[in-house]
Amino acid sequence: MTTKIQVTRPTKIELARLKRRMKLATRIQKIVKDRLSILIMEFLQTVRECTILKEKLLADFREAYKALSVTTGYHGYAFLEKELLASEMALEISSYTRNVAGVRIPVFETEDNGASSPRNTPGTSSLTDNSTRLSRECLKNAVELAELQNSLELLGTEINKVKRINNALEYIVIPGLDATIKYLAMKFEERDREEVARLKYVKLLIEQREAYAY
Amino acid sequence: MRIDSGKPDRTFENHLQGDLKTLNAHLPRRRKTLSELLEEKRPHVECGDGSTHYFKKKELEYLTEILNNDDQQMLLLPIIIEVESDEGNLKVRSKTGIEAKIFSQILDMPIAFKLDMITIFRPQLAVLRKVLKTTTQYAFTI
Repeated sequence: MTTKIQVTRPTKIELARLKRRMKLATRIQKIVKDRLSILIMEFLQTVRECTILKEKLLADFREAYKALSVTTGYHGYAFLEKELLASEMALEISSYTRNVAGVRIPVFETEDNGASSPRNTPGTSSLTDNSTRLSRECLKNAVELAELQNSLELLGTEINKVKRINNALEYIVIPGLDATIKYLAMKFEERDREEVARLKYVKLLIEQREAYAY
Repeated sequence: MRIDSGKPDRTFENHLQGDLKTLNAHLPRRRKTLSELLEEKRPHVECGDGSTHYFKKKELEYLTEILNNDDQQMLLLPIIIEVESDEGNLKVRSKTGIEAKIFSQILDMPIAFKLDMITIFRPQLAVLRKVLKTTTQYAFTI
């Protein structure tokens, strides 16, 4: 890719300004790179956690369905339906946000209260309690998985944004500034050389004039 | 002749300042001790940008398990992990050294604590962040 040299006016002030700009751009890039590495680390960590939790949730669902089918077999559909209608699911979820390297990530936390304990109503057995407990466990894990998947999406979007900024700095801004600084430095050197040559020529002319005068 | 107003410089500076502000906006105005947070119904701290940072109760309970009462009263939360752009390592400022105790417990290895500073390495950070998600925060420094 060719680098673009942008010079408004070839002066020493401009060169100093460009050097300052270059220093700033390098500093920004360092921070952006740090941020990117932190975000990628968090993203990979979340992916790992998400995979583990998904597997756990699937296993939990399997267990819960098994328990439910056993309960249905023991008590019958009519009883189970009656129980489901009568049961009350008291599950509190508090949601808030946390900040990871400038990204606001939602956090869901299930709050346990007394209602989550098994209900010992007449006619129910340990089978119903077991299936209730397993279902609650599934619900908790599903909430946790929702948090992780949301985090993944947000982190992924932010990583893309930061990557674009980093690439712009690395491949366009910094090389452009570098090329312009080099161009200006060479131009000034050339000007200095011309100046020296001109002075020498003038000196020679003066010497020649003085020689003719005598 | 066109006069250069120095606009690009200002744009760069604003970008840098804005970036740092955004990155460090989540830092708390005042940190709270673990014992203070444990007394709250919804443990939280106020952040610099006016938002509220909440702590997971599970994490606070975990810290309570590994620390004694005196340490609980001295440990300031969230623990701030400084990410320095010049060095690859990460630093945690600590006057008491309780953070080192927590980190060594989580990582299951001794952690160096010198001149009020704990140095941690990137691979260790992933393990720490896995356990202490809301009780640690990043601060970006130049």
